[in-house]
Amino acid sequence: MANEPTRPSTPDGTTAKYRSHATPPEAGRLRQFAAFVAGAPFTAVVAAVEVAVVTVALGVPLSTAPVAVGLVAFAVYAADHVADAAGDAGSTPTRARVALRYGDQLMAAAAVSYGLAVALAVSAGPAALALVFVPGAVWIGYATDWLPAAGERLAPLGARVGPLGEVSLPRLKDVFLLNSAAVAIAWAVAAVAAPLAFAGVPIHPVATPTVAPLFAYVAARSFVDVEVPNVRDVAVDAARGVATLPVAYGVTGTRRILFGVDAVAAGLLTAAAATGAASTTALVALAVGLAVSVTVTALVDRLGDAALGVAPDCSYLVAGAVLLMLGW
Amino acid sequence: MTALSPLSVALLVAVTVGSSAAILAWRERPEPGATWLAVLLAGQVWWATFLVFELEAATLPAKALWYDVQWVGVVAIPVGWLFFALAYTGYDRYVTPFSVGIVSVIPAATVAVAAAGDPGNLLAVDHVVRETAVGTFLDVVPGPLYYIIAGYTYLLGAVGSVPLLQLIRDEARPFRGQSAALLVGTAAPWAGSVAYISGAIPVPGLDPTPLVFGVSGVAYLLALSRFRLLTLAPAPRRRARQLVFEQLHDPVFVVGTEGLLVDLNECAAETFGIDRRTAIGESAAAVVPRYDAVSDLDAEGDKPRAIPIVGRDGQRPYEVTVRDVVDDHDRTTARVITFHDVGAYLGQQQRLNVLNRVFRHDVRTETNLIKGYAEQLRSDPTDERALSVIERSAGRMLELSERTRTAGELFDPTEESESVRLPRIVDGAVADARSIDPDARIEIGEVPRVAVPAVLEVVLENLCSNAVRHNDAEPPWVRVDAAVEGDWVEVTVGDDGPGIDPAEYDVLDRGSETPLRHGSGIGLWIVKWGVDHLGGRISFAEREPRGTVVTVSVPVDRSDVPNAGR
Repeated sequence: MANEPTRPSTPDGTTAKYRSHATPPEAGRLRQFAAFVAGAPFTAVVAAVEVAVVTVALGVPLSTAPVAVGLVAFAVYAADHVADAAGDAGSTPTRARVALRYGDQLMAAAAVSYGLAVALAVSAGPAALALVFVPGAVWIGYATDWLPAAGERLAPLGARVGPLGEVSLPRLKDVFLLNSAAVAIAWAVAAVAAPLAFAGVPIHPVATPTVAPLFAYVAARSFVDVEVPNVRDVAVDAARGVATLPVAYGVTGTRRILFGVDAVAAGLLTAAAATGAASTTALVALAVGLAVSVTVTALVDRLGDAALGVAPDCSYLVAGAVLLMLGW
Repeated sequence: MTALSPLSVALLVAVTVGSSAAILAWRERPEPGATWLAVLLAGQVWWATFLVFELEAATLPAKALWYDVQWVGVVAIPVGWLFFALAYTGYDRYVTPFSVGIVSVIPAATVAVAAAGDPGNLLAVDHVVRETAVGTFLDVVPGPLYYIIAGYTYLLGAVGSVPLLQLIRDEARPFRGQSAALLVGTAAPWAGSVAYISGAIPVPGLDPTPLVFGVSGVAYLLALSRFRLLTLAPAPRRRARQLVFEQLHDPVFVVGTEGLLVDLNECAAETFGIDRRTAIGESAAAVVPRYDAVSDLDAEGDKPRAIPIVGRDGQRPYEVTVRDVVDDHDRTTARVITFHDVGAYLGQQQRLNVLNRVFRHDVRTETNLIKGYAEQLRSDPTDERALSVIERSAGRMLELSERTRTAGELFDPTEESESVRLPRIVDGAVADARSIDPDARIEIGEVPRVAVPAVLEVVLENLCSNAVRHNDAEPPWVRVDAAVEGDWVEVTVGDDGPGIDPAEYDVLDRGSETPLRHGSGIGLWIVKWGVDHLGGRISFAEREPRGTVVTVSVPVDRSDVPNAGR
């Protein structure tokens, strides 16, 4: 066969081997772009809307907080996707491919994004500046090997002084419940404190009754938003030894727990409304968003992988839309 | 939110660019210099950030507070710059906790003074709030510590720039680009600082240094992205070049212009048994082997020649090359003397040469002989003499073939070098010789029970066999003696034969044969190659009243001898 003459394979007499042809548009590129947009940029938009809704709920003047928090969200999630690209190949293969291929560009975009957020925070004052570092600091403990490395460095010291020497520090991302709780609290701090800090409003004793329930509400909702996509990642997380609610209690158990968290969130909204200090329009919008969250939790085992990745966060987009419709 | 002053807006640009560059630099850890570049950039961001707070503060105490906080960033920049430059250019041995601590003393003291509220007005003699069109800032009358830390900053900046300036002339384009971008990034704030101290700024009291951090940040970002700073750092080059010197399999000595030893590599110390710690600084003549012969070599291009030198592996022929070390002004600062062991190469060359002669001369001669007597046999099939000649000739060819095979096996690189006790080798060689002539009188003198390489077996077998085979005495007499002297063992084989033709060992001494001057057979060559292989020496002497004494000296094998007792 090696000496067999190459026969023309088309009417024009050319062979497939030597025929020039236009490269067809790569279907995967659109999918890659969609996967990228559905990742860090989508999270950034959701974070910005979340802060805007909370700003209205708190009744403080609108500031650059939504933009700053959106920029930080983009930076943190883009960096996270790059850092964990290899591990994410099983659960979000398209996004992981984008992160692997454009890792340097994504990191540059993330760095510039964080730099802009820092500049916005500096313009808003010291409190805003301190706040803008919270998500970044949590991410360093959450997803990077900084904590385990610090643990290894301290281990010899601990060995000399007592049982601390046997303790190894894991990444927060690998600690059951604490992983989701850390993310939820970090975002609650950013979403509730940022509108106050960027607007230069102190946490006045009168405003405190509204701030506390709203903070708890955002933390509870963020916890649900983090755990729902874990249903999609259950096989990969189990294989990597990452403990999540779906890994520990299965899909049904997870659904029940998340319903319970949503119920707590509903109670917190009611408490915020009871103070009378919060914007009713904003509370209605948040309540609609909560309903969307409950729906997503109910359908958690019937939604596709792609939908599960974005559906929980959509509750804030719905809340934002409702807020606009109600004439805010 | 109140509107920001124009100065604050400009500073926010510096904060944005600086933060981005700091994050990208931090991400590159543990690349050489990454952490220190991040420290430098963080210092710039810190300074610019708190200057914004100072500009936007409404009261003098608030402005004074943010002014004091800026010192943390101000003093971090030169420290970050110095250690970044050192780590990035491969001088990382100067980046130690101790050196960092020492260099940080004055910066830490400055921060401590600022934190303590500047007692004694060391940093600022006076503060005045100056309202200008570009912003309201604190106009400070510098105190003595201010000038000290400013001078110290310039000093660290200059020291850090030296290794980077060297890279500007580097032949590798990426390193030239990197160093140029880094120097621009550093020169811009310096220019701002110099303009402030010299009073060249149109807005009195305004220190523009943090304002040009934007330029620095862009330059560093350019270096990080365009010129792949940190991912393509020149730091490993110094180590790699040092590693090549240290790990080179050839002994290398560096001799200064005054004839003193400046350096030597690990191989030189091992091969010639030199203690590096005591050797450096000594006269090269006392340390470098055969320095008298070596120092005469012309560094410009004398053809290297093989010099026999006794080292760890016995006597080996070394080809010595000498190269001058020349500085940027074409001045010779030292000579590098490299010893290249050419024993294996010379041995191969000799073997090819001798085997060529064997085929071209010896085999051809025997073949012609066989052919001629075969013709004779054709005409007279009863000629017993012709038959006998043919048989002897074929026997010699067979023996030649056997020896050629022995020579091949002697240098088989896959064969592991074994050690054997000397008496066992001598007994074997004598037994071999007796098999040639059972009537031969072979005496064995005192033979010490030392371990020697197994290759010596082939050498002694050939010597003893030749002593019997080429001996016309009736019966032949042969004596083998051995003695140990230090790390060497000397074996002598004496006989009462007709002696070896001086032309034979003259050829061995020269190391090469020509069509007109060559030995007979390859027995003596095998002996020489075996001795050379062991790093030994061989000598021939006439014996009174008749015969030859061959003396072979080889190093005693001091390593473990697992099979020596067999």
